[in-house]
Amino acid sequence: MTAVQDKAEKSYNEATGAALYDRFKASAELLSAEVHRAANMEEARQLVTQIIKDLDTPKVVYAPSELMDTLDVKSIGQAAGVTMTAENLRQQAADAGLGISQLDYAIAEIGTLAGNANSIESRMVSILPPIHMAVIRTKNILPNLLETIATYNEKLGELPRYLTFVSGPSRTSDIERVLTIGVHGPGRLIIVFID
Amino acid sequence: MATVLKNEINNALNNDNLTGALGRFGEAYLPAREKAYEGKDFEATREKIAQIKSHAAENMEALAQQFLAQAEKNGAKVFRAKTGQEAKEYIAKLITEHNVKSVIKSKSMASEEIHLNDYLLKNTDVNEVAETDLGEWIIQLCGQRPSHMVMPAIHMTRGEVAEIFSKETNQQLEPDIAKLVKVARENLREKFLKAKMGISGANIAVAETGTLVMCTNEGNGRLTTTVPPIHVVLVGLEKLVAKFEDVGPILEALPRSATAQKLTTYVTMMSGSTPAIDLDGNIVEQKEMHIVLMDNGRTEMREDPLFKQALQCIRCASCLNVCPVFQKVGGHVYGDVYTGGIGTILTAFLNSFEKAGELQNLCLRCERCKAYCPGKIDLPALITELRRRTVKKEGMPLGQKLILEKVLTNRKLFHSLIRTASVAQKPFVKGNTIRHLPLFFSGLTEGRSLPAVTDKPLRDRVGRSVPKGKVKARVAYYAGCLGDFVYPEQGEAAYKVLNKMGMEVVFPLEQTCCGIPASQMGAPEVAVKLAKQNIEALEKENVDYIVSLCPTCIEVLKHHYLDHFKDDPAWRARAEKISAKMVDFPSFVAQHGQDLQFNKLSTSVTYHDSCHMKRALGVWQEPRELLTKAGVTLTEMKGCDDCCGFGGSYSIKMPEISKAILDKKITNIEDTGANVLALDCPGCKMQIAGGLDAKGKNIRVRHTAELLAEAIKE
Repeated sequence: MTAVQDKAEKSYNEATGAALYDRFKASAELLSAEVHRAANMEEARQLVTQIIKDLDTPKVVYAPSELMDTLDVKSIGQAAGVTMTAENLRQQAADAGLGISQLDYAIAEIGTLAGNANSIESRMVSILPPIHMAVIRTKNILPNLLETIATYNEKLGELPRYLTFVSGPSRTSDIERVLTIGVHGPGRLIIVFID
Repeated sequence: MATVLKNEINNALNNDNLTGALGRFGEAYLPAREKAYEGKDFEATREKIAQIKSHAAENMEALAQQFLAQAEKNGAKVFRAKTGQEAKEYIAKLITEHNVKSVIKSKSMASEEIHLNDYLLKNTDVNEVAETDLGEWIIQLCGQRPSHMVMPAIHMTRGEVAEIFSKETNQQLEPDIAKLVKVARENLREKFLKAKMGISGANIAVAETGTLVMCTNEGNGRLTTTVPPIHVVLVGLEKLVAKFEDVGPILEALPRSATAQKLTTYVTMMSGSTPAIDLDGNIVEQKEMHIVLMDNGRTEMREDPLFKQALQCIRCASCLNVCPVFQKVGGHVYGDVYTGGIGTILTAFLNSFEKAGELQNLCLRCERCKAYCPGKIDLPALITELRRRTVKKEGMPLGQKLILEKVLTNRKLFHSLIRTASVAQKPFVKGNTIRHLPLFFSGLTEGRSLPAVTDKPLRDRVGRSVPKGKVKARVAYYAGCLGDFVYPEQGEAAYKVLNKMGMEVVFPLEQTCCGIPASQMGAPEVAVKLAKQNIEALEKENVDYIVSLCPTCIEVLKHHYLDHFKDDPAWRARAEKISAKMVDFPSFVAQHGQDLQFNKLSTSVTYHDSCHMKRALGVWQEPRELLTKAGVTLTEMKGCDDCCGFGGSYSIKMPEISKAILDKKITNIEDTGANVLALDCPGCKMQIAGGLDAKGKNIRVRHTAELLAEAIKE
C-alpha cells in the first residue's frame, strides 16, 4: 500500500467514513450524478449487473485496471448478455452505450471524482459514450479539494501524467444561460462505491 | 472620442437581447456566487492567490525555464514564442509537417488574442479549424467575436442559435435549447473523431511539475486532449505558477467566481505526453504534445511597476459579471478579444495601447470589480493610471487643460466662475433645477435634470457655529464642490446635527476642490496642487476632526493624498495628519451622537448605497441604523448598492450608458413604493434626483443628514 493510500484511509477513518459518504452523495446528486454503494465485491457485481441490464444497451466498453479486474467487469457484462470490449476504442467507444472505468478518489465537499487517467482506454471509455459508470473504493473518500491536491502533492514523483477530476455529467449553459446536461461528454454519470 | 465607440455603445444599448441576457445574468450571478462560496473564506483565498500570482509574475522567466525543462523531461516539446506571430508560425509549421487536414479546438483566449484560426486557414492546407466549446462554435459559425471571456455567446438568443445551426446543418431546427445542444454534439463528434490535431489552452501552468491545468464543463477539453493523436497547447506566460500546491487556491476560486460552480465538471491536469490512438486505430505510446509558451507583451507588462499587478488575473471574468457598464453594453463594445475592466488593461499590453486608451473611458470607477477580484487586482486604480498615460501621450483637449490648470488651481477664480454661472443659468432654471440646456450642452440634460447652482453657497451661509453647553470637540466641515455650491441645505442640516452632538463646527474658507476631477481626467499634477491647498486650509483651523458628506472627497483626502505624496516625506507627514482626522458623516454621528434624541419621522424610505461610501469607505450599516433611529420605515430595494451611473464626469462623457444604468436604478427605487430615497453622496443625489425629476416622479431624494436634522428633538 502506498503512502498516498495510507493517508486516504487514515482520513477516512478519522472523519468517520459514513459521514463522508453521505456528504459526497448529497454533493454529487446536486450535480445530477447517480450514486450507489455496495458493501462488498459480490454485492458490487450484482449492482453493476442490474445497472447494465436496466440500461438495455448492446455494447459496453471498459478500461482494465486493478479494481475493474477484481470486479471482473468483463464477465459480468457478458453474463448480462452484452458485448464487452476494451479494444479498438476509437471506433468501439464512439458507438457504445456505456463506458466503465475506475477512479481513485472521491471528494466529499464538492461531489467530485479524481484519478489517474494515463491509460488511453480509461479516457476514451469515460468521455465518448453517452453514459459513464465510475467504480471507486469507498475508503478513498477525501474531505475536500485542498486535501486532495495535498495528497497528490506529497508524492509529486508519482504524479499521473493525465490526472482527471470529474464532477457530474457534462453540461453547458452557453445558450441563454439555460443549464443543459450532456454536451460533448456523457449525459449520465453513475458512481458505484465498493466498500 | 472616436465615433466608432459611440456607435457601438448606442447599438448595444438598443439591443434588447443583449441587455436582457446580460442584465438577467448579472442579477442571478451574485446570489449564485455567494452560495458557491458558502463556508469559504474568500478574503483568505484571494490573499493566497495574490501572493502566488505576484510571486509568479516576479519570477516569470525563471519559472518559464523550469516549466520547459520539466515538461520536456515528461516527453512534451516546448516552444517559447516571443510574439503572437511566432506562435502562429510554429503551429502552422506543425500542421504542414504532419499533413493535418482537420483541427479541433477547445476554448483558448490566447488563440483568440492572436487570431490563430484565421492564420491557420490562410497559411496552411488545413480544411477546418473547428471550435468545440458550444459558445465558441456558435460565434465561429456566425463570424462574430466572443462577447464575454467565459460565456462567449451570452448575447445571443435560442432563436438566433437555431437559425445559425439550421444553416450549418441544412435542416430546419426549432429554437429548443436541448435539441440544439444535441445537434452540436452530433456535428462536433464527427469532427473530434476525424481530427488529427487538437489545440487547447490552459488555465494554470505549474513550473515545478510541468503540469497544465484545464477547466471545462462540456467535455470538449477532455476530447481535444484525448482523441486526436497530436496535441498542441497554447498558453500565455501569465498562467505560470511556481508549485503544484498553488493549484489548490486558484481552483477554489476560479469556478466559483466565474460561473458560481464549486468546480467545473472536468478539470484536467496534464504533466507531459500520454498515449493516444491514431486515426488508423493503432496505439501510440507517447503522442506528440507541443506546448507553445507565449509572451506577446506579457514580459513588458511584468516589467511595468504598476501594471504587473494585472498578471494576478486568473481569467474568471467576475469583473465583467459585476460591472454595471458591462451589463448594459456587453463585450462587443470593447472591440477586442479581452473585454470588461481587466480586458481594457490586457488590451493595452496584448493588443493595442491606443484602443485601450479609448476604452478606459467606459469605466465608472464604482470600485465594484475590486471587491470581487480573486486576484486582488486594484482595477479602478489601473484604469486611472491608463487614463493618465493616455493623456500624457495624446495630450488633453485645450479647453479641458485650461480649466484644470488655470481655473481649478486658482480657488478664487474657480469659485467666482461658479458664482457667475449661478447668474448665467437663470434663464434655464425652473424651481431649482435645470431641465434643458441649449445647443451642445443638451446631452447633459438628456433624461436627467441638472440641479441649479445655488445663488448663496454654503460658505456664505455658515461659519463658526458653537453648540449650546459644553464643547465636546472642534470639527472642520469639508463641503466639497457640490456640497458648497449646489446643495448648501445639506451642509446646514449637517451643522445642525453636529451642533446638537456638542460639536463646535468651523468652515475653513480656503478649502477647495478635492482634486478628483483632475485625477480622473489624467492630470495628477493639478490634483497634487489642490491637495496642498486643502491641507494648508485645514491645518490652519487646528481641529479634532474633519467631517464631510461626500464619500468621494473623503476617500481622496483620507487615502489619495497619502499616495500623492508617497515620495515627498514632508508633505506626506502633513497629509497623514489630515487623513487621520477625516471621517464621513454617518460614521461620525453613529460614534459620537449616541445621545441624540429624535422625533419619529414615520416616512417610508429606501436607501441607496453610493459606490464610494460602501466599497471605498466600507460604510453602509451606520446610515441605516441612524435612519431607523430617526423613525423611518426602511424598505430595501433590489440592488441597493448598484451604481447609479453618475461617476463624476462620466455622466458627461458617456451620457447614454449613464442614463441606461440610471433607468434601472429608478425602477428599483420605484418598486419599493417608498416616498423618500435616502443616500449619502451629493453626486448620486444629483444623478438620481435629476432622473426622477425628468421622469416626473414624486419621490424626494434626501441626504441622511437632512432626514436626521428634520427628526432631531430641539
